[in-house]
Amino acid sequence: MIVSTLPQSPGLWLLAWRRLRADRLAMFSLAVVAAFLMLISLSATGLIAADWDREVGVNYAPPSFAGPDAQSTANDAAKDDTAVPENPLDPLNDVLRELRAQRGDAAASAPEDYGIVDPIGPEINQLRAQLAKEGRGTAAVRATTLPFGADKWGHDIVKKTIKGSETSIVVGLVAAFLATLIGTLLGAFAGYFGRVVDDILNWVYSVFTAVPNLLLIMAVAAVLQHKGVATIVLILALTGWTGTFRLVRAEYIKHKSREYVMAADAIGASHWRRMFVHIFPNVSHVALVQMSILSVGFIKYEVILSFLGFGVPVGVVSWGSMLNEARNELILGRWWQLTAASIAMAVLVTAFSLFTDALRDALDPKLK
Amino acid sequence: MGAYIVRRLWQMVPTMAGVIVMVFILFNWVGGDPATILAGKMSSAEQIANIRHQLGIDQPYYVQLWIFLKQIVSFDFGASWSTGESVAHILTTRIGPSLMVMLPMTILETLIAIALALGIAFLRGSLADRAVMVACTAGMSISILVYMIVFQYWFAFKWGWFPVQGWGDSVGENLFRYAPLPILIGLAVSVAPTLRLFRTFVLDEVGQDYVRTARAKGVSERRLVWVHVLRNAAIPIITYVMANLPGLLIGVFLLENFFSVPGIGREVIQAVDRSDFPVVKAATVYVAALTMIFNLLADLLYKAADPRVQLQ
Amino acid sequence: MLGLFLPLAASAEPKTLRVLFEAPDSGIDGALTVNWYSGKLTEMIFERLLTYDYMARPAKLVPGTAEAMPEVKDGGKTYIFHVRKGIYFTPDPAFKGKRRELTAADYIYSFERILDPQNRSPLLNFLAGKIVGLDALAAKAAKSGHFDYDAPVAGLKALDRYTLRIELNTPDYNFPYVMAMPSGMGAVAREAIEAYPGQTPSHPVGTGPYMLAQYVPSSKIVLVKNPDFRGLSWDFSAADGPNDAQIVKDMQGKRLPQIDRIEVSIIQEEQSRWLAFADKQLDLDFLPQLAAPKVMDGERLKPEYARAGIHLDRAIDAGITYTLFNMTDPVVGGYGKEKIALRRAIAMSYDTKQEIALIRNNQAVPSQMAIPPGVAGYDPAYRTSIPYDIDLANRLLDHFGYKRGADGWRTMPDGKPLAVSISRESAAVYTEMAELWQRGLDKIGIHSEHPVSNFQDNQAAALECKLMMWGAAWNADYPDGENFLQQLYGPNSLQGNMSCYRSPAFDALYKEAMALPPGPERYALYAKMNRQMEADTPWFVQTVRVRNWVSQPWVQGFKKHPILNAEWLYMDVVPH
Repeated sequence: MIVSTLPQSPGLWLLAWRRLRADRLAMFSLAVVAAFLMLISLSATGLIAADWDREVGVNYAPPSFAGPDAQSTANDAAKDDTAVPENPLDPLNDVLRELRAQRGDAAASAPEDYGIVDPIGPEINQLRAQLAKEGRGTAAVRATTLPFGADKWGHDIVKKTIKGSETSIVVGLVAAFLATLIGTLLGAFAGYFGRVVDDILNWVYSVFTAVPNLLLIMAVAAVLQHKGVATIVLILALTGWTGTFRLVRAEYIKHKSREYVMAADAIGASHWRRMFVHIFPNVSHVALVQMSILSVGFIKYEVILSFLGFGVPVGVVSWGSMLNEARNELILGRWWQLTAASIAMAVLVTAFSLFTDALRDALDPKLK
Repeated sequence: MGAYIVRRLWQMVPTMAGVIVMVFILFNWVGGDPATILAGKMSSAEQIANIRHQLGIDQPYYVQLWIFLKQIVSFDFGASWSTGESVAHILTTRIGPSLMVMLPMTILETLIAIALALGIAFLRGSLADRAVMVACTAGMSISILVYMIVFQYWFAFKWGWFPVQGWGDSVGENLFRYAPLPILIGLAVSVAPTLRLFRTFVLDEVGQDYVRTARAKGVSERRLVWVHVLRNAAIPIITYVMANLPGLLIGVFLLENFFSVPGIGREVIQAVDRSDFPVVKAATVYVAALTMIFNLLADLLYKAADPRVQLQ
Repeated sequence: MLGLFLPLAASAEPKTLRVLFEAPDSGIDGALTVNWYSGKLTEMIFERLLTYDYMARPAKLVPGTAEAMPEVKDGGKTYIFHVRKGIYFTPDPAFKGKRRELTAADYIYSFERILDPQNRSPLLNFLAGKIVGLDALAAKAAKSGHFDYDAPVAGLKALDRYTLRIELNTPDYNFPYVMAMPSGMGAVAREAIEAYPGQTPSHPVGTGPYMLAQYVPSSKIVLVKNPDFRGLSWDFSAADGPNDAQIVKDMQGKRLPQIDRIEVSIIQEEQSRWLAFADKQLDLDFLPQLAAPKVMDGERLKPEYARAGIHLDRAIDAGITYTLFNMTDPVVGGYGKEKIALRRAIAMSYDTKQEIALIRNNQAVPSQMAIPPGVAGYDPAYRTSIPYDIDLANRLLDHFGYKRGADGWRTMPDGKPLAVSISRESAAVYTEMAELWQRGLDKIGIHSEHPVSNFQDNQAAALECKLMMWGAAWNADYPDGENFLQQLYGPNSLQGNMSCYRSPAFDALYKEAMALPPGPERYALYAKMNRQMEADTPWFVQTVRVRNWVSQPWVQGFKKHPILNAEWLYMDVVPH
């Protein structure tokens, strides 16, 4: 028996994808974003830019296309300052003398006559002799120019930018995901259950939105005691969920009285199932767009947090930390770190934003 | 309408209570201890205890909270813990410079964004529209920090069009000499997102039936745009502008800090840094109250402008 | 005919000096704050009994409102000051229309204010425990809630209207320095303080060369010449500074103050500051570190700036930067050899020269001892015994059993994990120093963290011996090394000895030194105390900062004084 199949109406996502595909600017932006994502996964796995914090250039080395600095002090390897007087009051004197002797240092200059002996003197001399035997390697030669220059310590700006992209993008994405998650869950509860739950959550929402964003951020930052990248992600997530909350709540209110939900109720689906198995798929596009928007916002916010002193910790590089360092470099005529970070950020944020717009247009039935 | 207003005001109370409790918990629990900085470089435990006693922070929490509530009701937050200046005085004197940067910026940004939004809305889909959108997005992707550093360096220092920083004594001097560069930077940062948003509002209107009808009736494009569409798009525009005003504090603060403008944003951040609790409490409470009032005003304006809207 | 010209000359523009503060002041009441910027203002508005010779280096005390240096009796226990007659406070409604002369009783009141518990004065420790009978009165005030300013104090007596006798509990050779402290020891008038309760920081009434004309908190302050000032003559001899001869030539014999008006702007951003000076909006500033490479050629101005007539005064700060170890900390604290070795190795891993070259743009020099130049007890020939030596540090740690674990990081000798935590504030310079620390510690295999907090919290934790390590700076309150070494004195733990360092050897040396009058014997003990400090390593001394003060060509007479806060009184501005 031949049964003709009913023509299937294509789902929301398929339609959206088709619309997106047709939009060349959107595809281009997507490609740029994808390129960045690939770059940062390479960087995260250590395949590139893993040695970004090695001092390969002289301090403030200019970019190669600009030519080396006339006054750059090449190879300013700090000389070991080992010729110091001995401290007669030092309990470590014997040890130090021994260690130094092992290394082959000349005998320390005559101690002042305080009559106090260093207990570790002999050990020091011994160690000194040893070091002399091993010889000490010559300091590595540092380049006078690098592809896009070096920062004040001599780090390669290109590698820093790549590593910084990784940090900034991951911070933005993870924080956006968390914020969207919080906002969606709370919005779902508020919109679906209504009444008391809605009132309470709305109250929380209004309290959070009444306090100025900046103040809220500083307060939360103070609470969490600056423990690193995780802190920044938490700060952003805890202050950024409100927009998502409102939109998702509105969607849930709209959907909860629709027929398909009542049908689900009729077949005995629990609240949880109804909320997240039945309704959520129809609402997820809102959450997705929100997440996209938040990602962009949070990447930009990380820069501001660095400006205020709540940025990434020492030893971690992000666009925010690069721009913060660059603040005082322009005046010295060193424009390369500022330019590199600004351009990288501008390209990514522009592409991401354009893509987000296109995504929203594609998912928005109003424009059909 | 009257009942609606009363109900809304009444609804503000639990929100304010929540804000107060949240601010109190956050800053009391974690906000740093001002007693040691006020005690000086070499201080004994007694000195610090004495200072705590003077400031009233050695009392149990519920007593402090009660004092806080009394302060809010009487609008008297006492004196700054670090300078001794009355908090009310601090807030009233700093709001002026902040407004002098914020208001012209908001007005100019709104006007420019409206003009551009209307201009390009009718080019929807065309290359020019696309190009403007991409340009906006690109402009938005550059951090305000970069704008500040670069603009100050080129426009103020290299080309001397504006003073590098500072603030004067007279309104005129401030408005025309010191405020323009911060305002310019604020515009550079905010016109783009505002333009995008307004374009959406305008597009929403342009897609409506009445526009097609008007066109069919032979109304000129210009009249259509500037009279009909604008009047309808004005509603979400105004709502957005009003609701956004208190939130402008962030961008303005960064500008205030960079250009040494003695405004509220800078004051509050310094206060948080110095654990100057009274100033922070007062600022937060007032801004929270202002935000809610502005939201209410925006809703009322919305209702007044568009009778179709039902206020719940 | 001549008469036509005179009024023209009289109505010339007031001589104005435009300066800046990098951070806001805390009001103009010297007893209530130790904010450095407030100190600059109080120094111009209020006067102390003693002050410093403007040109002499090292800093030399000279009479201020006192007619002469005090009579010292009882082996340093009694000081008698004679206040000059004919010094008046600026007119104020509190004086009810009468002209108010400065008397010895005013100084008694001003000092008592500092001990008044209600004022919470941060200057308390400079007078507390020193003056006979004053502490008892303060204790009574703490109980009753009210300080009785009318009650007589045995140690603060006005023998007559202009004569003040101060009796100390123990001989204190540094007491005159306390009397000369620029920020809080100036005379205030009781009526003026009591007339403006709670508002004294914005309503200063003093006898000094300047008075407050405009005060916009956190933004702008204007001082104008006090027309009632008794007047001073610029009469100092050149010392051996490079600009001294020119300064003496420009200023000798001039009636002070010359400058009519001082405008202070508060500018926090370094770029804004520098551009403001370059733009000629400011007359006097010290170069922010970021501008130094642009303007300086090593120790001189670049030719284009020298040609433009910019003056340079390269002044060494009478202060040091250092990092302190908490001697009671379970990880880095302790007096046994292995803990000493740990601290010593950590100190040896920090490259101070790189800090100076890269972070401070060569605007600092390595500090050899805990006493900076310009302060009594400083010895230019003294050299620290702690080198920058990564190799030796590694050797030392290996020797004392700090083995490297599987992950490459060292552990304690007993195998427990080893991690060092260096607290700091959030400003960019501290971030950069933290990077430098981390690189050094990485090279010796020690895992490090650099938590950020605000200054108050860090200071509170340090005072309670809760931080592990902290980077700090100390500027001299008066030019004697004791001001620095007192922070390592055991009994000062929990009060200012933020290292919580208790060494019987060090304390014995300290007490011995305090019993001696200033002189080579005493300073030899200071040197020995430095050696003891290096031996136990509670502190790691880093740099002495150099400030490049630049002034516009039309500014005359500027020579940075190590203790005085504001040189404005002794300067002049040429019409331009």
